[in-house]
Amino acid sequence: MSVVDEFDPHALAEQDFLDEVHSFQFWFDSVEGYLSDRPYGRLETTVDEPIDDARRERLITTLCNYSVGETAALEGAAGLVQLAPDRNSKIFMATQVADEARHLEVFLHRLRELGVADPEAEIERRAQPALVDFKGALLDLVAEGDWQAAVFAQNVVLETMEYTVFRLHAANADPVTRDVLAGVISDERRHAGFGENDLGRSLAADPSGRARLREIRTGLDAMVVGVFEAALADIGAPAGERSQLAHEYLDTIERLGLT
Amino acid sequence: MTDIDVSAPGIGADPSRRRYELEETGFKEVPKKWRKFYRHWGGPLDTLAPNEVICPVCKVVIRATRELRPGDKVYCMPCMSRMVVVVAESGRLEAEVIF
Repeated sequence: MSVVDEFDPHALAEQDFLDEVHSFQFWFDSVEGYLSDRPYGRLETTVDEPIDDARRERLITTLCNYSVGETAALEGAAGLVQLAPDRNSKIFMATQVADEARHLEVFLHRLRELGVADPEAEIERRAQPALVDFKGALLDLVAEGDWQAAVFAQNVVLETMEYTVFRLHAANADPVTRDVLAGVISDERRHAGFGENDLGRSLAADPSGRARLREIRTGLDAMVVGVFEAALADIGAPAGERSQLAHEYLDTIERLGLT
Repeated sequence: MTDIDVSAPGIGADPSRRRYELEETGFKEVPKKWRKFYRHWGGPLDTLAPNEVICPVCKVVIRATRELRPGDKVYCMPCMSRMVVVVAESGRLEAEVIF
């Protein structure tokens, strides 16, 4: 006699799977699992370790630029709620808005813990111009009402790079920053996955969109690849690990047929 | 149904396949009822069991209650991807994303 689990994700019909993973309930029950015992993303039992001045400076610059990226995604996702073509996507994008707001908050909080009295001014001072340009380009796509291009910019280009950089950073970070990044990484998995799958489905239905997205990609890559490569150098990621950034990003691009 | 689809309940309900009792391993990124179907990947030295494949999108290990076979359809809930199990050039089972 065969025994089938009452809850087996692989037994779901595709639409039931999509309804489940895009739902607010799924998001709520997921984040409860890894955030409920972490005020500002940090386990209360984690002890901060002394950081020398040079490392602290590099970390502040990195967190300032992460904050620029998270602000871009927060504003972008908020605008995309209105553009989303169906209700599941609207609900998912609303959960992403909450995630991005939390990411920004925990990075600002960490900056204050590191002694930055005025994080807003520090971000302004240390933001990489290319990343600020990327934010402008993303918000322009949102303002134009271009769901497909904006999801590509935000959930594929930005989120895929952030997902890789945050993971590499977490592996090399001080204990508190590692805690903070761990929760963010778990969120980014959803965001990057949503982008790839949403675009993948739309491009499978209408492959003509690929040429346009390839063109958009060329402009966006120039703005962000250098910034995230610099971030990896700043956090001291070994050279061998840094190549993972391009490798994982290009894997995504290839799966979408955008090479 | 396409040629890369199998009927969804096929994996868990197929008595010809070796069955695996799944337990939670500390992966908390999905609601509790789904957690035992996923685990964190430990890197290149992490040996996968016959009921496991790595999600190429988010690098989480996807687990099933029975051994996986080429053509099986599995879902990665942490990154919302749908995929099909294939045999790679190395002979190992891998997952390919399907849109």
